[in-house]
Order: sequence, then C-alpha cells, then structure tokens
Amino acid sequence: MSFAFFFQLLINGIIAGSIYSLISSGFSLIYTTNRFINFSHGSVVVLAAFAAYFFFNILRLPFIIAGLFAIAFIIFFGLMNFRLVYNPLRKRGASNASLLVASIGCLILIESLLIMLFGAGVKSYFLFDTSQGINLLGAVITKIEIIIVLSSILVLILLYLFLHKCRTGKKMQAVSDEPALAETVGISSRKIRSLAIIIASVIAGLAGILIGLEYSFEPMMGTNLMIKGFTGAIVGGASSILGSVLGAFIVGILENIGIGFLPSGFKDAITFTLLFTFLLIKPRGLFGKWRDSNA
Amino acid sequence: MLESYLIHVLILIGIYCILAVSLNFAIGYGGLLNLGHIAFFGIGAYSSTLLTIGGIPFLFALILSCIIASLCGWFLSLMTNKLKDDYLALATFGFGLVVYSLMQNLTRLTKGPLGISGIPKAEILGLTINNSCYLILTIAMLIIAYLVMTGLVNSKFGRLMGGIRDNELLMKTLSRNTQRIKGKILSLSAFFAGMAGSLYAHYIGFIDPSTFGIKEIMLLLTIVLLGGLASLKGTIITTFLLVSIPEILRFVPIPDNILGPAQTAIYALVLLLILRYRPRGILGKIDLN
Repeated sequence: MSFAFFFQLLINGIIAGSIYSLISSGFSLIYTTNRFINFSHGSVVVLAAFAAYFFFNILRLPFIIAGLFAIAFIIFFGLMNFRLVYNPLRKRGASNASLLVASIGCLILIESLLIMLFGAGVKSYFLFDTSQGINLLGAVITKIEIIIVLSSILVLILLYLFLHKCRTGKKMQAVSDEPALAETVGISSRKIRSLAIIIASVIAGLAGILIGLEYSFEPMMGTNLMIKGFTGAIVGGASSILGSVLGAFIVGILENIGIGFLPSGFKDAITFTLLFTFLLIKPRGLFGKWRDSNA
Repeated sequence: MLESYLIHVLILIGIYCILAVSLNFAIGYGGLLNLGHIAFFGIGAYSSTLLTIGGIPFLFALILSCIIASLCGWFLSLMTNKLKDDYLALATFGFGLVVYSLMQNLTRLTKGPLGISGIPKAEILGLTINNSCYLILTIAMLIIAYLVMTGLVNSKFGRLMGGIRDNELLMKTLSRNTQRIKGKILSLSAFFAGMAGSLYAHYIGFIDPSTFGIKEIMLLLTIVLLGGLASLKGTIITTFLLVSIPEILRFVPIPDNILGPAQTAIYALVLLLILRYRPRGILGKIDLN
C-alpha cells in the first residue's frame, strides 16, 4: 500500500469519524442522563436532513433559515418522542430492554414514514459543487469535508466546555453519575434530562445537514448511521461522552483503513464485528466510567 | 386460482409460525431477549440452499440446516452467557448484523446482495413436491415444533427455564448450571428457526440478505409481543393476523411504493402501542422482563 493511498484512507476515516462522533456523542448524552439505549437517534439524523430538504428544496427558503427550521423541528420531534413513547414506558416501570425494543420500533417507524413522504430514492440539496477536491499530501479532500471535520470538532469542544465549565453542564454530569443524590441537592433531573435530549437533537440535526451538504441521503440511511455511531459509543464507552467521541473516530478510521485490505463491501462488516466483539469482551468500552449492572 | 393463492399464503403463515414460536420460546420462556433470531432463519435458509445445490437431497439438507442453525445458537449462547437484559439484546442484535453482513459480503458463497435464485424445489425420494403437499409438510413441521416446545415447557426442564427467567441468581444458588440450560434454550430455538429458513428457501426458490434484516427482526418482535410472551398459541394467532392482512391488502388499490412502507409503519406502530398499553399482548403470561 502506497503512502498516498494510506493517507487518503486515513483522511476518509477521519471524515467518517467526525460524522459518527456527532451521533455517538448525542447517543451517550441520552444514555448517561436517561439511562437507556436509544436506537431511534440514527433516524433523527436522517429526519433532520429531510426536514432541511423540505424547507430548502421544496419551500425554497434560504439555506441558513431552512437549516435553523430543520433543527427547531428536530428539537420538537426529540422532545415529543420522549414524551409520547419513552417517558410513559418509564413511568410504567418498563425495563431497559423494553425501551430498547421501543426505540427500534421508532427507528423503523420514522424510516417508513420518510419513504412514504419522500420516496425511497436518494436526495441532495444541490447547493455546492462537491466534485472538486483539494490536494492535501496526495490525498483529495473537498471543501465541505473540511467544513464537516472542523465543525464537528468545534461542536464537540463546545459540548466538552458545556459539560465541564458551565453550571448546567455540571448539573448534567451530576444527574448522570448519581441521579438520586442530584435530586436531593435540588437538581431537577427531569429538566436536565430534557435538556440532554435537546442538545443531542441539535447535534444530530447538525450531523444530518452536514451529511446532506456533502453526500446524498435516503430514508434507509438512519439504521446504518445509528449502528456506526452506536458502535463508536460502545467502543469508547457509552457512559463517557469523550470516550464515545474517540470511539467514533476509531470506528471511522478502522473501517476505512480496513477496506485497504478487504473488499469495500466489508466496511459495514468491520464495524459490526467490532461492535459484537466489544459487547462480549469489554461492554464498558475503552473509557467507560461506571459499570452497567447488566454488562 | 384462488385456491392456489390461499395455499401460498398458508405456507408462508406456517413458516412464519415456526419462526415466531421458536422466538417466543427463547424470550417468553427462557427470558432471553434475542434480537438476532432472524439470523438463524437466514443461516437455515442459506445452508439448506447451498447443501441442495451441492447435491444433498432435500430432507437431509433440511435436517442438516436445522443442526447448523442450532450449533450457531449454541455458539451465540456461549459468547453471550455473561450478559443480561438490554446488553444481551444488543449483543444478539450485533450477532444478527454480523451474520447479515456476511450474507452480503461472502459473495462467493452467497452471491451477496444479488441473492441466490433457482434453489432446487423440495424433493422426497426423487418426487418433486407440489404446493399442496408442501403445505402439509409445513404444517407437519409446525406441529412437531409446537409439540416439542410445549412438551419441554410443561416438563421439568420448563420449570428450570421459568426459574432462570424469573430469578437466575436463585437458580445458581440452587447449584443449577444456568449457562447450560440457556445454551439448550437458544440452540433449540435456533434449531426451529433454521427449519423455518430451510422451508422458506425451498418454497420461494430465491433468497437474498434483505429477507433477514432489521425490519424482519421488528416484524417478528411485533408478532411475538402482540401474541404475548410465554404463549405459543398467542404467537400462532398473531402470525395469522400479521402475515395474512398484508396479503389481503394486496387487493386494495394502493400503489406498491406506498403499500410496502405503510405496512412496515403499521407494524412499528402496533409494536409501540403494545409496549405502551398492553405489554402482555393478547394471551401473554408475563411482561417483557
């Protein structure tokens, strides 16, 4: 394998990792505060891409406004999803396994509704020309891809600062570490949980729009994105947000370098094997904080 | 015409009954939330296909593919024996994904996404079986599967299974080898899923990975949860409902590109509604742990 080829695969891996990390960090945020595995988070990403498509390509609003509307819609959707599906189940005392099954139901429901509304075909915003790339040490990278990497790094830094420097962020960490204790010192865990859903939805919405800018998108993409983001979270440790971000980059880089050795169809197989292996051998992940009682 | 169509629908219902009943056996009685069950269906379908293409007679291929699926079930149980609840569900889900991507990518064996067509029709002693005989064969297999599973559930082994489902720690302190019992549950469940897979492949004559994906996992879960956990009768009733209703809807003039996703959306909605309002399903005896 030549250096340029390897470098290109590495760059592709970092781009994929940036997108996956936007999904896995939101996933972790929901997991640590709400304590369940939300599979429908992947289809939220695709839903955001389609919402922006609706506002921009169908209603012909300016792209920035379309994007903002799409993110507002996704926040509303995320909150309603919890209000109508997950919270009532929680109140009934349903187990984490039931919530997981419910979230698979939501994932498929959203996908099917999107197919009914927009058709199963691929869509694109047709906003930028993404055929031209910049040569970087022999590897080709487009401008949008640079924007994707930079903005995901920026979002993740902001998220880190929020969780560690901001009062509300610290409260969120308290709720995720010791929910009962946080409640006794007067932190409303209900509000913090909703806030976590809002933040996760905003990040997922951003991911959806960024994907739409560079690549085409289709309703069935949510499952695949969820599995990638989720694998990142499991590899890095779902209970640690920083861990799941690093895990997402590991997944992105490994699957891209892996196809330097294997046929390109094996990209997903690499991720699935990584997921299965980690669940069996190290379910807490590389940087996981608390040990889940079921793991 | 109508008669042959009816036979077609009944064969499909029979096959899905075997598949769904074997899943309920693992979840409802064994307490093992196996989200990778569809993989055993796929393993059965692919092994039976490849074996018959390789020249092995149908009946042997059917039995062998059950055994292969069952060994995979044993393997999955060995790998996941330390996991519980949602982590077990995730690991089995991951297993399903790995098997799915192998079907997609081991192109030399499986022809990948193109699928394998022209699967040999079922033959017994050199005689090709027509559809009405195939229906009888399917029903016979369903009855065998049903009797074996209800027999086990009502035996001493069934009480051990219930014990593990409700309180594994207690069973361990009573010095029961819970890993082994769980292994037996999962391999038996996989055995019948493999049987359903083989019956499916030789009936339809064509298989591709899309029959064994995430949507099908959800459909199976909807059938099992709507029928109710730990009620094999409930599962059979709901399989009838959920497999035959879309067949009836085929006669309603709705364009195909809407009908497909609409069906899936309805299944997903049914799943959410049961979880929310009636976690025991129609005839269930327990809630989803």
